Amino acid sequence: MAGASRWADEEGDRAEKDRRKKEKEEKKRAKLAKQQAEEEAKARAEQRVQRSDERPSKKRKLSPDGEEDAQPQFGERKLLRFEAPGWGPCRHTSNFETLNHIEEGSYGWVSRAKAISTGEVVALKKIKMDYNQDGFPITALREISILQQARHANIVDLREIVMGNGLDDVVMVMEFIEHDLKTLEEDMFDPFKPSEVKTLLRQLGSAVGFLHENHIMHRDLKTSNILLNNRGQLKLADFGMARHVPPPHAPLTQLVVTLWYRAPELLLGAEDYGPEIDMWSIGCIFGELLSKEPILQGKDEVDELSKIFALCGLPNDKTWPGFYRLPNAKALKIPRDTKSGSVIRSKFTFLTNAGAELLTSLLSLNPAGRPTAKQMLQHPYFTENPRPMPPEMFPSFPSKAGQEKRRKHSPNAPRRGDAPKIGGGELDFSSIFAGREEEQKGAGFQLRIG
Amino acid sequence: MRPSPLANPLATVAQIRPSSSQIDNIPSDLEDSVRFAGARLTQAAGILLRLPQEVVAQAIVIFTRFWVGQEGGSLVQFGAEQVSQASLYLATKLSAYPKSAKSVINVYAYLDSFPSTFIDPEELHRKKDPKEYYVSEGTYQTRRDALFKVEQYVLKVLGFQLHVSLPYTLCITYLQALDVFRHPLGRELAKRANAHLNSALLSPQLLYLTHQPSQLATAAIYLAAKEVGVKMPDVDWWEVFDTDREELGFLVVGLLSVESFAMKEKEKWGEARVPMTVDAVEAELQKRSTSSGVE
Repeated sequence: MAGASRWADEEGDRAEKDRRKKEKEEKKRAKLAKQQAEEEAKARAEQRVQRSDERPSKKRKLSPDGEEDAQPQFGERKLLRFEAPGWGPCRHTSNFETLNHIEEGSYGWVSRAKAISTGEVVALKKIKMDYNQDGFPITALREISILQQARHANIVDLREIVMGNGLDDVVMVMEFIEHDLKTLEEDMFDPFKPSEVKTLLRQLGSAVGFLHENHIMHRDLKTSNILLNNRGQLKLADFGMARHVPPPHAPLTQLVVTLWYRAPELLLGAEDYGPEIDMWSIGCIFGELLSKEPILQGKDEVDELSKIFALCGLPNDKTWPGFYRLPNAKALKIPRDTKSGSVIRSKFTFLTNAGAELLTSLLSLNPAGRPTAKQMLQHPYFTENPRPMPPEMFPSFPSKAGQEKRRKHSPNAPRRGDAPKIGGGELDFSSIFAGREEEQKGAGFQLRIG
Repeated sequence: MRPSPLANPLATVAQIRPSSSQIDNIPSDLEDSVRFAGARLTQAAGILLRLPQEVVAQAIVIFTRFWVGQEGGSLVQFGAEQVSQASLYLATKLSAYPKSAKSVINVYAYLDSFPSTFIDPEELHRKKDPKEYYVSEGTYQTRRDALFKVEQYVLKVLGFQLHVSLPYTLCITYLQALDVFRHPLGRELAKRANAHLNSALLSPQLLYLTHQPSQLATAAIYLAAKEVGVKMPDVDWWEVFDTDREELGFLVVGLLSVESFAMKEKEKWGEARVPMTVDAVEAELQKRSTSSGVE
């Protein structure tokens, strides 16, 4: 009896095996029948084509059953098949359970949630419906359609759109990313290391390069729109301002990009701008990553411009042809002859020459002087030492959006050597218990008023 | 994986079979008629709004997608005219040529003032008495609210899948690859192929929902070349454009059948109007049931 386990019910097993075999055979038969049917259909279709156009018979030679003197057969030729998504109605919001609120912007409310069926944590963005003359907000429609097309490792992944009971309840379901660069910056003690800045900038450049290649302008690049997960992967988010590059001379709105990241041509009222405005924003972000705070914090449009000129120097006809023709340039009183160049090199003292050169070119007043995203990625700055840190090596941080707390400083493991002696002098432990009585009077917590 | 920007979302096999309208006991021939009339209405409105054909085609594909499948929209619940309006409005919003709700509503009011569904294209621009299609402020408000509501329904039913890749530019690229434009009849061939692509938008076989743009473009070129009399290479050239013989055959037959379908529709409805609202569909059903009861 040692051989067979007492759980083995051999007869049952055999019956089960037979049943499976039969099933398999049936499937095979069905498949064969289906194939035959398909072939017949194919033949019929071919006949139909022939009837419809009376094709000369010589073309038949190319079909597999052609004579031997036909051209050499290549066997079955594989045709390119496109993978295409389908569509279906929006699922209901009740498929997700909200965990916590993250932030509220002009575009809508963002919260962290869990998919009930899979347990996956996602970010939900509820779209604000401002009922005006236009029905469903055009910005949200653009954001959704652009995110559906822009699938890229460094662009936040839009999973689906869900709807609540009312038609106004429209929620975008996106992958949850732990951090955004702005919050991270505010909580950090030191700025990012040079190698870390390179990794971030390279990923940002790759995302923006992809967008521009697909004729999409982001139009609101800033650190709070750039997300970072705990595996060092950067993801671009918030496409509420994004749009396709329109045909030439179509009017574009000038009021785009958050002030501190807005390119000078926009501030000067250019109507015909292009993807270069995103490159300016990248320059601002580059500087911000290096110095841990926004580099051009203007109070208003005029102040922003003066801060820009103070950093990058004054424009003139040579460095920026066409500058004086911009609508708002006439109102500016710019000394034409004074020599005032860029102070970027002296401001970022720790930056290598290559880095300073890249930053200067990104913050070039003349849009034509800025590199494209692709050119930026080719810059020697990314290949010189220190090399970009591999994303997997990136440090991880406690996530504010995920409601994780920064861990309190905890002591390290003891170093090798003599154990430090406790109590060189006298130690008095009485103070530990000193406040006990008062503590017990109070409730669990107290509200501080005033 | 990122789907190719040239590829279109296609209807699944399950979506093709019974539509929501058929489940609601709408005869399939009536559904075909309404869908055909709706697609033509969208095209006409697009022409009057001076929209590029790409935008109009996208609107017609969105309109067609809306009715497909058990989870699609049903004629018992939605009027084809309103869905056509909402589809066109959505397509313009995503394009570089946005149109105001007011323009869209005015154009549909104008088109609605024609006595029959099948009007000649020349008649489209004929000046008429403005009183016939004047939209008062109150009517405008109600129609606008209805438009916005149906717009949201379209988005909901499609799960916001508004992406449409079109075969027009591909068609030109293919013709260039085939070196057609050196042929004296090259331009005519291109025109003819384009015309086939436009009429395919109206096909009752929903060709834009079942085949990729590359296949549509190839079939249109194949058929146009036969008609114009331009000789194509003596090989299976369609395979270069990712189309196999079977698909080509199906599509050519499909393209050819649009004309006879359109003629039949025109004959069938004559001077009457195809029911484009929920009420009109109901009235039509009533009419059909009483006339069959008499027999």
